[in-house]
Amino acid sequence: MKFFFTLVFMVLSSSSFATEQAEQLFNQLKPSLYQIKLIDKASGEKSSIGSGFQISKDGIIATNYHVISSYALHPKKYRIEYLDSDGNTGLLTLQSVDVINDLALVKRKIDSINNEDIHFFQLSNSAPHKGEKLFSLGNPHDLGMIVVPGTYNGLKKESFNERIHFTGSINSGMSGGPVVNKQAKVVGINVATSGNSIGFLVPHDKLDNLYQTFLQAPPESIEHQMTEQLTANQNKLMSAILNSPWQTKPLGRHGMIPIIDVPFIRCWGDSNADKADALILTAVANCSLDENTYLSSQFFTGAMEIEFRYMQAKNIGANKFYHLYQQQISHAGAGNRAGKDNVTQYQCHHDLVMPDNKMINNKSIFCTRAYKKFPDLFDVLYLSASIDENKQALVSHFTIAGIDKKNALAFTRKFMEAVSWN
Amino acid sequence: MELIKEEFVTTETGIKELVIEEISRNHKLLHRHKLDKPSIHIGRDYHNDIILADPHVCPSHISIDFIDKQWKITDNQTVNGTFVENLKEKKYQANQHVVCDGDIISLGKSQLRLLFSDHTVEPTVAFSPFESFINLMRHPIALFISITLFTLIAGSIIYFNRPIEVNFSQLLVPAIGMTLGFALWPAGVSLVSHLTKHDNRLMAQLAVSFALFNLMWFSDILETIVTFNSSNNNILPIFMTFISVILAFSLFWLNSYIGFHMSSKRRIVVSASLTLLLFGGSYLIQYSKKPEFNPRPNYNATIMMPSFLLTTSSNVDQFIEDSSKLFDKTSKDAQEE
Repeated sequence: MKFFFTLVFMVLSSSSFATEQAEQLFNQLKPSLYQIKLIDKASGEKSSIGSGFQISKDGIIATNYHVISSYALHPKKYRIEYLDSDGNTGLLTLQSVDVINDLALVKRKIDSINNEDIHFFQLSNSAPHKGEKLFSLGNPHDLGMIVVPGTYNGLKKESFNERIHFTGSINSGMSGGPVVNKQAKVVGINVATSGNSIGFLVPHDKLDNLYQTFLQAPPESIEHQMTEQLTANQNKLMSAILNSPWQTKPLGRHGMIPIIDVPFIRCWGDSNADKADALILTAVANCSLDENTYLSSQFFTGAMEIEFRYMQAKNIGANKFYHLYQQQISHAGAGNRAGKDNVTQYQCHHDLVMPDNKMINNKSIFCTRAYKKFPDLFDVLYLSASIDENKQALVSHFTIAGIDKKNALAFTRKFMEAVSWN
Repeated sequence: MELIKEEFVTTETGIKELVIEEISRNHKLLHRHKLDKPSIHIGRDYHNDIILADPHVCPSHISIDFIDKQWKITDNQTVNGTFVENLKEKKYQANQHVVCDGDIISLGKSQLRLLFSDHTVEPTVAFSPFESFINLMRHPIALFISITLFTLIAGSIIYFNRPIEVNFSQLLVPAIGMTLGFALWPAGVSLVSHLTKHDNRLMAQLAVSFALFNLMWFSDILETIVTFNSSNNNILPIFMTFISVILAFSLFWLNSYIGFHMSSKRRIVVSASLTLLLFGGSYLIQYSKKPEFNPRPNYNATIMMPSFLLTTSSNVDQFIEDSSKLFDKTSKDAQEE
């Protein structure tokens, strides 16, 4: 299953039939729901829209980070505005973000703190139980606010950062809207969809954590906060990977490759054994981390891909085999999307390397590029091709996005020593 | 009795011989006439001593007469006039001009160079050692071998890089095509030297070009071996690039040596310019195609079969240490922007 992030704020029309219960909830909660708009200052027009909901008396509104990401990275270019159910608009200020869980807190100016009429959402104290009926709310562009009933189906399996699997049509444009239980308490935040009635929510406790941390110590700068979150997340991820068992598995006839035994890295395989006319028999094992942290529409991080390729010449000589083999390894690219404003160009090092076990001799290539806004974070790419067998080859390759130097080198070392011939 | 001065080489009749060369606009010799008449007529009609076909020349254009031991030009009131057009001098009317050795005069659109028979000629050019190399290479057997070798190498490169199975004729056609394509260069050079009134020497051009093309193949293979066996830290691959430059220069030098008569200084300048054009041009093309930002890494993926492996490999520690330097480098890049 390819997990597909829907980060489009434009809305496709979707009809929803609200049950009586839903209607009641909807009317009750409507005053605390907002449409969040990012206005481009130069043109005065909105550049993106999403939903948000108030969670405190003093005007703190929760939404998705990806709704306001352009503002977080280019605060001078945009301003954030809200539109409430009565059609009032006003300015919002960005207070805090959680890029890993795709959450953000913005603040609406409240005229009098003691106004008793101010409505806000209550966060749930407990997680829902499987099969529980939930209601997703969102304020898509032009359609006004809608409510979508659905079912809680537990946490998404095999994800490093928890997401709720919600069965119900979350549509584009509902990003940042709350998902409530029958008691009108927030249990999650709309974040993504993966096609027909498969939706993903950020669990409410992530929002609670963000809000409590914000109350104790608001961040000094959003960029600094994001750097800290990204650094902490990759530390958590890499320590889980480096401390988990790496099982050795055969690939093809003689290759030995490591399989990292953690639930959030999933592997797939393929080969061309059915193609009789292929000159080279190829078997590929591909493992990846199903995470992709959204930083901006042009910049994702947190992804990790590992690929092993075993090749064996059929009816061709070693010289031809190596020519074709070289073509196979000449075009490795980054595993994440990033542009000129976000990262530097790659710098590469290549050498012939034989691990101390003398089990394989490789041509190894290591490339890295640095993040411009987030110091000490890098994208790395490693590619290694065996050069010690005339008619067999083993390629080992990985890319990791958003990792620091220490973790990158530790992972590379462990990875290099884990690949060999048997 | 007056002695005739030594520098005056005269015939029995006492007339100093005059050599008249018809030359092209860029001063290449077209025809040469040696005359010892006291009066020389030049023009377009048939009673002249030198008949010019140029339609801008008058039927009786000029006469050059030996008067008082010197040659004097008389313009016969022509439509387009006659001018002295010596290098490093301003052009002026040639009527009543006293001829000096080496004068160039223009009639219509034609040019004539006037020389006395005692004009000093350039020293003899000795055969260079390249002459014997060229003669060896242009021997039909040697030529056949080098062209066949070229075709074979081209064919095998095509074979090595085809990801599908190929038969012999599928290789032969592109290989011969490639050979013919490369033969265009020596053929073109021959054509140019033929057009510029030089000996075309097609066989010699072919022989020398293909010999050098083959050397370039070998230098390519050598370069690949060196690249394969060295890491980023090694500067040997950069030296290999110089070999390609030297080979290209040699090719152009030999082409111009065979095809054109020119001073050795000029030949070096011409060959160096062509080399610069080739390498500078291809660099410029690459540079112009290079995007401002490349999201893909640009790395060296050269690999060869184990028999070309000549060095010992580094260990993981060394590789990690070398790689760790990249982080500081890219961090610095990130800060600079």
